[in-house]
Amino acid sequence: MNVKKFIALTLTCAISTQAFAHSRWVLPTHFNLSAENGEWIMVDITASNETFNVDKAMGADFVKIIMPDGKTSRPSSTYKGHRKSVADYFLKESGTYKITNNSNAAYMTTYEIDGDRKRLWANKTELSGKLPDQAKEIQTTYRYSRIESYVTMNTPSNNFNTDGKLLELVPVTHPSDIAENEKVMFKFLFNGKAQKNVSVEITADGVRYRNDPQTIKLRSNAKGEITFTPQNAGRYLLIAEHQENTPKSTLADKQMGSVFLTFEAQLN
Amino acid sequence: MKLKQFGLTIIFFTLINFTVIAHPNKSTPTTLNIELTLKQQLGEYHPPYVASWIENSQGKPVRTLLLWREQAKWLKDIRRWWRKVGKKDAELVDGITSATRITGKYPLSFLAENDEKASLKKGKYTLFIEVVRENGGRAIIRQPFSLNGEKSTFTLAATNETDEIKFSVTP
Repeated sequence: MNVKKFIALTLTCAISTQAFAHSRWVLPTHFNLSAENGEWIMVDITASNETFNVDKAMGADFVKIIMPDGKTSRPSSTYKGHRKSVADYFLKESGTYKITNNSNAAYMTTYEIDGDRKRLWANKTELSGKLPDQAKEIQTTYRYSRIESYVTMNTPSNNFNTDGKLLELVPVTHPSDIAENEKVMFKFLFNGKAQKNVSVEITADGVRYRNDPQTIKLRSNAKGEITFTPQNAGRYLLIAEHQENTPKSTLADKQMGSVFLTFEAQLN
Repeated sequence: MKLKQFGLTIIFFTLINFTVIAHPNKSTPTTLNIELTLKQQLGEYHPPYVASWIENSQGKPVRTLLLWREQAKWLKDIRRWWRKVGKKDAELVDGITSATRITGKYPLSFLAENDEKASLKKGKYTLFIEVVRENGGRAIIRQPFSLNGEKSTFTLAATNETDEIKFSVTP
């Protein structure tokens, strides 16, 4: 490896580490249910770097549930506490439900002033008048985060529609089929196309009670796929991120998508 | 040889041939005998939910032998069976369901057939027995076996939920 390549690689790593700084997740009470006449679930919603201990409440206002028939529905009630929000939802029909708490896509401009890193919710055309004269290292990013999980009642369905916006995770292994010691495959799309080299980190529940977080770090292959084998039954948080420069855009310097997927590996 | 005699001879040979061709491996179908035991437990006791099934050498389920259960709500707790079989086939679940049993010994016998009642082909299989009890534990027993025309007998070690189980494959 020549020096240039080495530096490039180091930079990539440095960027990803920084970008992975803040986790958000949804945690349903159940991932797999059997029922004759429907079943209730509750979902925890939080911004927390500790998997799966809650930290800061995120509002549940953006929580949407995509039902097995593809229609969107909302929680029947929500509560916002200091550490987490919770949402209540009744699953009526058999099939796979996708629970999402996606952010709104937004332009974020970061800059440095007197050695401090600051941010501002504005695109490049909106900066004049908002940005201090001494601002340096100005960079505008178009961002969108998907915070999601799948819950299946009785017969699973492939509730995996995509919308082509920045980063998306498409299960190849159905989330209700994930089990300890069995290979799992997911696929990543960026703006609707298979995306290689997406950074992925997967961490099992219970980080508070072990010294080594034992995070699995992966990159998607040329087909946008990752494969991994959960070693233990339990709940996992997958964080994926991908960004690209957008030199042609008048609004942003780069675009960045992230996915926070909560899933369960079942006992085998 | 008279014509009549010749005719009978032909019929006779045809019958023999027919018999041979129609029943290439004809013998009584292989039976799977399981002497299932549910362990005596102390304290609060809810009869366990039990499923037993067969997977082929690729891990694909080919036959559910039994399902002892009550409410649908707890079927998901028979984890492997629910993931591989139950959740995908509501009709099968309804068809095979019977009530839970208390502690005891249950001699059971099944033909080596798939869910569609066709004889299982020669080859390697695994017998699964999964036992889950409310306020108790879960046990999963795996026993590989072969269908190759030969008799085999297994003793399945006791678990927290089962005593020793005898299992035999009898052609």
